[in-house]
Amino acid sequence: MNCNFTEKVSSLIDGELAATEAHEVEHHLLSCSECQQLRADFLNLRSRIVNFETSLPPEVQNPALKKILARKRAVPARGLRWSFATQAVAFASLLIVAAIIGLLVYSGNRKPDSKQAAVVQAPSPVPAASAEPSAEPSADTTKQPDAKASPEPPKENEPAPKGGDENTPRRNPVKRPLAREPKPGEQFAAIPEIPELPEHVRSADAETMTALHFEKSETLLRSFRNVRMDEPGAAAEVKYERQRARQLIVQNMMLRREADAAGDVQVSSLLENLEPILIDIANLPDRPNADAVRTIRERVERKNIVPLLRVNSTALARALD
Amino acid sequence: MASEDEEFTMLFQDFYPSLCRFLECLLGGRAPLAQDLAQESFLQLHRTAWGTMPVGEARFWLYRVARNMAINEFRKSNTRYRLFDRVVEVMRPRARNPEQEYETQERNAMVLEMLQTLPEDQRTALLLREQEQLSYREIGQVLNISESKVKVDIFRARASLRERWNRVSALSKCAGLGN
Repeated sequence: MNCNFTEKVSSLIDGELAATEAHEVEHHLLSCSECQQLRADFLNLRSRIVNFETSLPPEVQNPALKKILARKRAVPARGLRWSFATQAVAFASLLIVAAIIGLLVYSGNRKPDSKQAAVVQAPSPVPAASAEPSAEPSADTTKQPDAKASPEPPKENEPAPKGGDENTPRRNPVKRPLAREPKPGEQFAAIPEIPELPEHVRSADAETMTALHFEKSETLLRSFRNVRMDEPGAAAEVKYERQRARQLIVQNMMLRREADAAGDVQVSSLLENLEPILIDIANLPDRPNADAVRTIRERVERKNIVPLLRVNSTALARALD
Repeated sequence: MASEDEEFTMLFQDFYPSLCRFLECLLGGRAPLAQDLAQESFLQLHRTAWGTMPVGEARFWLYRVARNMAINEFRKSNTRYRLFDRVVEVMRPRARNPEQEYETQERNAMVLEMLQTLPEDQRTALLLREQEQLSYREIGQVLNISESKVKVDIFRARASLRERWNRVSALSKCAGLGN
């Protein structure tokens, strides 16, 4: 057989060719006598195979069926054993799966506990150095809710809001127990540790607070720059700035730590430059002499802090929008 | 349970003769052995796999199991089976007239003889196609081979049988026997 269609003729009589291919082969068959003969022979073979008669006597079939059905009924023990084994395997698998799930849940619950314990224990050393242990006897875990429910929340100590604060777009920052007004003499020591919050909450909150802090600090420094020392009431003017600086020192330290932890070098360095100035203002006597005020002003000018605060607070506020 | 048995009975009655014929052709005759293997295949189906697959799948399952049993039989010594089968064949009651019976036997013997010249995989594929009318895809499913191999096996089987048939016909004509 030299024709290329021979194999396709075989597929054609089986109905296994696609319509177009079948049409093509049938068209070929019209002109190829060799393939015509091939198809005839294949069909002849088919009829011989199909017509093969089995020598199965009719009386064999029903007894065979009865035998099969009877043997099925005659072996219930095996079926019972099989079904028992299946159930046992299923039960054992269920137990194993339950044990694995239990282990996963247990380990999943343990990890946050240990982390929380580590976070909760961390603040204890700092408040332990508090100058007023009687007022705040302990800073352990039971102290945290008290600090939140304290009758002197941070807002109570804040002065009346200025125009700049209100015009600034802000989010509602999460209240934190550490924003507490330090009492005189303890402002550098009794700073509670920042409770560990989830990263995304801390990040957004820290940016909001930093922006607000920059605005407040800028306002303070502008106010301090405008203090008139030649006037008789100059000392009274400084009193407000001193109070304000004391409040901002705590926040400044907290935000600087967070900026350090977050790796925000720009904010961290600005807060680092701002911090000694705030401390100096906070530590001014009731009636500061002109030289002390001037020295601080010169430092503020030299470090160019006020414009930096303005730029950074604006940038942060825009980022928060 | 009763309905399951009813379904099984229907499948058996429909398909047992086909399976016997398939096995008989595969085994080159030996009808009693073919019937035994067909019965054993149904028994296995009823014991283990019945109810776990659709009825259509059960058909393929039976072909597969029956074919494996036949292959096992090929590996055994054939002598005693052939002797026993011939005794059974001789003792089998005859329903039709002797002339018809003789013609049928001759025709069947020729088909079986030709089929036995084929390799087992080609023979099985061809029988599943011609007698059981399975598609190439279904044959591939039963034999666990690709459709293209099914196509090639069937073509080669046909070509081989055709060549043999033409040779036998030519020899018969030369001997003046005709066909």
